[in-house]
This record gives sequence, structure tokens and C-alpha cells, in this order.
Amino acid sequence: MATEFHNLQELRHSASLATRVFVQRDYSEGTVCRFQSKFPSELDNRIERSLLEETVKTLNSYYTEAEKIGGQSYMEGCLACATAYFVFLCMETRYEKVLKKISGYIQEQNEKIYAPRGLLLTDPIERGMRVLEISVFEDHGCSSSSPSSSSSSSSSSSSMSSACSAAR
Amino acid sequence: MPDSTGKRFKPTKYIPVSTAATLLVGSTTLFFVFTCPWLAKVISPAVPLYNGVVFLFVLANFSMATFMDPGVYPRADEDEDKDDDFRAPLYKNVEIKGIQVRMKWCATCHFYRPPRCSHCSVCDNCVEDFDHHCPWVNNCIGRRNYRYFFLFLLSLSVHMINVFSFGLIFVLHHRERLSALHTTVTLVVMCIPGLFFIPVVGLTGFHMVLVARGRTTNEQVTGKFRGGVNPFTKGCCGNVEYVLCSPLAPRYMLDPRKKPHIKIQPPFIRPDLSDRQITIKVSDNGIHGTIVSSKSKNSLDVLDEKEIQPPLPPKADRYNFKSQLTSTEDGSLSGKTHPSTPAMYKYRPSFSTMPKVHYHNSREKIMMGEERKTSAILEEGVRGHDYRSEPNLDLPEYTNAPLHRTFQSSPLQLDADPVNSRSLSLKQAQRRSEKGHLTGLQPQTVTSTPYKSVFSPNTLSNRNGSLSYDSLLNPSISPGNASECMAHRGMPSMGFHSPYLPTKMCHIREPEIQRQQVTTTYSPVMPVRVGRQSPHQRDRDPSPVRYDNLSQTIMASIQERKEMEEREKRHMFHGRSQPHIYAQDSGVFDGAGGYGLPPSGCYPDGTRSRGPTPPAYSGSRDNLMGVGLVNYGQRTPVLRHGGSTMGRALRTSSTSLHTDHSSSNSSQGRATEGYRSPTHQPHSPIVPRSPSYSHYKLSYMNALERTDSPRLGAPRETKIVNGQRDCHPGAHGTPLSPSRHNNVKKMTGIGGTTYEISV
Repeated sequence: MATEFHNLQELRHSASLATRVFVQRDYSEGTVCRFQSKFPSELDNRIERSLLEETVKTLNSYYTEAEKIGGQSYMEGCLACATAYFVFLCMETRYEKVLKKISGYIQEQNEKIYAPRGLLLTDPIERGMRVLEISVFEDHGCSSSSPSSSSSSSSSSSSMSSACSAAR
Repeated sequence: MPDSTGKRFKPTKYIPVSTAATLLVGSTTLFFVFTCPWLAKVISPAVPLYNGVVFLFVLANFSMATFMDPGVYPRADEDEDKDDDFRAPLYKNVEIKGIQVRMKWCATCHFYRPPRCSHCSVCDNCVEDFDHHCPWVNNCIGRRNYRYFFLFLLSLSVHMINVFSFGLIFVLHHRERLSALHTTVTLVVMCIPGLFFIPVVGLTGFHMVLVARGRTTNEQVTGKFRGGVNPFTKGCCGNVEYVLCSPLAPRYMLDPRKKPHIKIQPPFIRPDLSDRQITIKVSDNGIHGTIVSSKSKNSLDVLDEKEIQPPLPPKADRYNFKSQLTSTEDGSLSGKTHPSTPAMYKYRPSFSTMPKVHYHNSREKIMMGEERKTSAILEEGVRGHDYRSEPNLDLPEYTNAPLHRTFQSSPLQLDADPVNSRSLSLKQAQRRSEKGHLTGLQPQTVTSTPYKSVFSPNTLSNRNGSLSYDSLLNPSISPGNASECMAHRGMPSMGFHSPYLPTKMCHIREPEIQRQQVTTTYSPVMPVRVGRQSPHQRDRDPSPVRYDNLSQTIMASIQERKEMEEREKRHMFHGRSQPHIYAQDSGVFDGAGGYGLPPSGCYPDGTRSRGPTPPAYSGSRDNLMGVGLVNYGQRTPVLRHGGSTMGRALRTSSTSLHTDHSSSNSSQGRATEGYRSPTHQPHSPIVPRSPSYSHYKLSYMNALERTDSPRLGAPRETKIVNGQRDCHPGAHGTPLSPSRHNNVKKMTGIGGTTYEISV
């Protein structure tokens, strides 16, 4: 076993999950899907208020659009009835379309805004639309790690550099 | 996570659904086989068609109701409920359209059930908009499949009616041959709908009512809205529309899908320091290298600043402390103080470089922040530094976290207090040299100068090794702002008072000032209002501001400021040890009456009036005291903690200070004493501040006594009047007269600080 080479990659800091912050649902208007725009205090020094509020506001608007009862939902219902709901096998509903949009939006927000700040948004649909989960990562600043545990993508769905923790 | 584990195959639960399915399909098939041909022939071919469509509809809805996910919530992660599981209350209230709705904690699923959600014991799941668990479809009826269940009921009722009617027609037409096969079968087929007609139609009617009222079966049978208002109703039409026309809700129990990887890699961006948060870093040159960050989002800035600290000269350290202190409180200061500084600027445009970078920052921060208190504290702390100006000997000891705090608050209170406080401290530092103008702390300087720059060694050291606000705040401050010194709120530049107690200083100063008058060399530099960080500080001279010297307006503003500060301080200092310090100080101060300066009587008036100000500084006081000690002679431990010690020390120091005072600017010994005593005396009102004052004095004294160090001495000579740095005699013109206490002039200084000047 040759000496381990520690490249710069390994020597960089790694992040690990520190805590999770939850933005709860706002039920003030009934059971429509809305999230509270109250800024969680734990994120006070991690992200600007305006950014998170903007994200929540956009998500709320998406959900409102998805749940809107209007022309498109009528048509979908009638079509479904007419086809004995076989249409659901072929076509995705409006809600599903919006959910895909939301998922893309969250992905984009994560990449652009949250990941650089050590945060990660979780799509609310994975939590039953009950909470908007924000994972907070801390910089553990590990100095060196074995090459094998270098900060390359970890296994989980969101790759976090876990060199430090792994190395430890 | 979502599904319940350990499910075993229970055949019994399938009996109802099997029965229902069998009956439905079977009887309809028989109907179609045996009855419909004749009906098609005799009545119309449309009859079987119609029946076929209806049956198809029934089947589809039945299938959807049976196989569709009703809206099952996945189990919550452990993280989500880690705080809730054991200590959570059973219910959580939420207001929906003005009506309180209770959310119950689900022990199985580990979350508070959203409104209208319920846990199904058969399925062992929490279901959204839970209606009921239907055995006939062997499924929960929830948000997603309620429509299909309802339509199933409707269509089944129609279908049953159809079958029964057409069967009856057939039988009636075949009355004579009832024993014929078709007829018999038709009869049998007719019995089934006849048998289930009443339950099914009854249920259908029940659900029609529910839909119209916007309730679920669960809510209806548990009587949730009995006699009350249903917050979920949208009106009859709205409810019907909601049930029939709303889009299909999404499934929560999704397969884990592959999400794109998002790399989370430090370093992380931190939000910029917002104006609300002030992170004041006080660099203590390693001693206190802690950056007290307020909750500002500008942690990054703070961090950056921190780094700058080490290179700063010791003086800077002092200031650093202060700034650090500031940061303790949530940076409200920063934001706030900024706006206030302009006022200061107007008074003291010529603040010299701020010796303390910290101050600058803190001040800036303070301005940004909302909390004046903190800023005030900061300022006080800063001021303390000023006093110290002794070349760093004391600096390291500052650690004034509390100082910072004090500081922070103060700026807020006093508009320019932070600045002032800083200037005060600066002044103190400078007291000897400069004009004791607090102006040094000019807000403008502060604000403008970047945090980092503040720390620049240059600025710091510009004053004889003293951290004068001036230098810190405004590198360009000309020492000649003596006049402004007066306005300073009691810049402790006198060298004895801790910068942390701007307000206290004021109070203290007053007596001191008065004393100084007696002793002659009052340098009117600054009003004692140390705490006031205010604009008065314009002149960041080391010389303390003396009330005597302040103009009437300044005094008035000082007074106001003090009151405000005191009020704030009180808030802040509740928990502090101030009380005892206060006592101390008071005691000390009282005792200091005999210094040879005008009796405390002179000051009490003035100081008392300032009483209110200290509160903001109370925290700082502690620090200040400590700081002061540090500065002067490593009395830190003593001064810091022990009020008693302080008291004693103060006494001594005050004596010496007084002595100093007496000698007025020139004579150290007297001057110091005299210097001190006034401060002491007025303590009573300024209780919170007094400790710091005493500290300062103490330190001052120590410095004087011990060292006679050039730093102490020099500045002293120049100005110390009331422990406030030597003020520019010229600035205020009138030396404080012992009888000042008789008339207390109120002057408004920079930033609206009110100074009380005893004339």
C-alpha cells in the first residue's frame, strides 16, 4: 500500500448534514396547499430572507395553479369519465404536470441558490406536502482524508461530500 | 417509510369486497344475458346500451375506489419528529379561516395530522381528507378517491334502479310464464337490487348531503361541526364543484425516484451582513479574537473582519473588543447606527481616523442594526478603549464581550451613540492628545470606513497609542474638535471612564466635569455621556467630554440621550451584575466626594439626570469596568468582577483621579482624582454606567499611579478633566466650574444626544 496521495480534492472541506429545518404548511385558507412564508430562525445566518421567501412564494403559486378548479380540470374530469378513466393510463393530469414543474424548480433552486449556501430543499411531495424540508449542511472542514473517501459524490441521492465524516 | 410493515394476508377482509364484486358483476351479467335481449327487441336496443354504459360507469368507479390510493401520508422521517415525539403535546391548534382546528399527533406516523386527516386502523395509514374505510371496496376513502366512491355510489344506485325496473318490466310481460328460465333468472336478478336498494340508496343520499355540506363521513359521525361552523365548506355549489371537478390529487407514496445529485460543497456562501445584524468584531489581537457576531447575516463580513484584527495594534484590540461586543447583541446596532451617525457627522465631521477599527465596524453595524442598545454598548466599549488609549497595555484585556454588548445597544439609542461611544473611547485614548473630541467617532467615519479599514493599524495608532474614536472613526479627524468634545457624551476620553458606559460617563462626567471646573482644567470635551455614542462625539479627542464645556443644546441632547440610554440599559442590564456594580459605583463615587473636586453634590444633579441612560450600558459596564481595568493596569480581574473591588479601587483611583483632575489638564495626579470623583459621584443615577466608570477611573488611576506612564500621564495632563479626556479647553470655553451642578445645561450634541452640562 503505497503512501496515500492526498490530492487537493480530498483536502477540501466536506459538508455533512447538520440539521433539518421544516417550513410548515399554512392552513389558514383551508386545505389548499400553501406553505408558511415565515422565515425559520435557524436559517438566519445561512440564507437571505428574501431568497427563501421568494422560493416559498413561487412554490405556493405553483400549488395554487395545480389545484385550481377551472376549465382544464372540468375537461379532464369529463374525459376521464367518458373513457372510464382509461385516460389516466395514457395521459398525465394537470397536477402531475405542475408537480414536475415544481420538481424542476426546486432542483434549479437547489443548484443555484441553496447548495452554495449549504442548504438543500426537499420536494414537499416526498413528505406528503406537509412540510418543506430544508436540510442544513455544515462545513466540517476536514483536512485530509483517504483517497477512497475523498469527496467524490457519495451514494445518497444528494451527493454530499462526506470525506471528512467518511474518513473519520 | 410510508407503508406499515408486517402486514399479513387476512382473507376475511376481502370477503365484503369479493361479495360486492361478485354480486355486482354476476347479477348484471345475468341481466344482460337473460333480460336485455327481450328488452332490446321489444322496447328498444337503446335499453341495453344504456344499461351497459351505466354498468361500465359503475365498474370503473368501483375499480377506482378500490384500487386508487386515497391519499396516504408517508411516515415522517425521524428528523421531522425528533422534537415532537415525546414531548409534543397531543394536539396542536391551527386556525383555518378564523376557526380553531385541532391537529392531533399521530403516534404511528409521527406527525401532526393535517386538518381533515385521520388515521385508518384497518389500513394503518394516515389518510388525507379521510372519509371512511369502506369494506365493500376494501379501501379507505380519502381525498383522491372520494369522487370515484361518490360516483360509484351514484352510478350503482342508478344501475340498481335500472336493473330492477327493466327486470320488472320483463317479469310483468312474462307473468304467465314465471317458471321460464329467463323470467326466473330475471326475478332472481331483481331481488338483488331490491335487497340492497335501501342501504345503497340510503348511503348515496347520505353522501349527497355530505358533499353539499362539505363534510366528510368522519366529521359527520364524530360530530366535529355539530352546532359549529365548518371551515372547510365552500358553499353548496363550491363543495359540489370541489368534489366533482377538482383535479386529481397527487400521490404521496411515490416510488423513490432518482433525483439528480446536487453537490453540496463548502465553502458555503453566507448572507451578507444585513443592516439588521451587526456583527461587530472586535479584534483583540488574538486575545479576544472572538468575533461576536450578532445574528446578522453578514457573518461573512464579520469573519473577514476578524482576520484583520490580528495585525492591529493593541489599541486596535481594544476597539476590537468593543466591536465584538457589539456583535453580541444581534446586530441590530449596525443598521441602526448608521442612520444615526450622520447626525454625528454633522457635528464632528472631522473625526480622525478611528483608532479602532472595531469601532468602526461596530458602529456601522450598529447603525444598521435596530438595537440601539447594542450599539450603545458597543460604543461604550469602544469608548473604553479610548480611554485606555494607553498603549495597548490594557488592550489585551479587554475581552469585552460584555462590552460589546453594551456597545451595541447604545448606538441605537443614541443615534450616534455608537459613534460617540466609540469616539469616547477613542477619545479617551486620545485624551491626552487630542482634543478630546469625540468627533473622532463621527459616524461618518464609521460608516464610511469599511470594517476592515477600521482596523488598520494606522488609524489605530494614530493617537498616542490610544484608541481614540477619532482615529478609529475618522482618520481624518482633527484633534481640533475640541468643541465637539464637549458634546461628546461623556467620552471617557478622560481616560478613566470606560468607553463602555457612554451614558454613564455622562453622568459621571458631569460631576467630573463639575469637578473639573473646580480643578480648572475641565476640558469640556465631551459630555459625559459616554453612552451616547452620539454625534457628540464628533470630536474624538481623547479628552473626555465635559459637561461644563458643552453647549446648552448639547447638554440638552445629552440629557435626553442619557435618559433614553438609561432606559434601554435597564432593559439590557437586567441580568447583569450591574446592580452590584451600581452599588459599588455609587459607593465609590460617593466616597470620592472628597477628592478635592467639587463635592459630589455638584454632580449628582447632572448624573442623576442621566440615570436613565445607563441601562443600555449596563452590560457594557461590566465590560467597561473590566476594560478600564485592563487598560490601566491589569486590574482586569479585579475590576471586572468585583464591584467591591472596584469600589475600592475606584476610591483609590478616584482619589488619584481627582487629583488629576485638580491639576486639570496638566497635573496628572490631581487631575485624575478630580477627574474621577466627579464621575463617581454622579454615579448614582447612572448606576449602570458607573461601574465602568469606576473601572475606568480605576484603571486610569492605576495607570496614573503606577505608571505614570507616559500614556496615561500624557493624556492626562492634557486633558483629563473628568476622566474625560482632555478636552479642548477651547472648545467649550468654560471650564467646568464646581458650581456647575447648580445649573445643568442641556445641550444637544451630535445626533441629538443631549448633554447635560452643569454650568
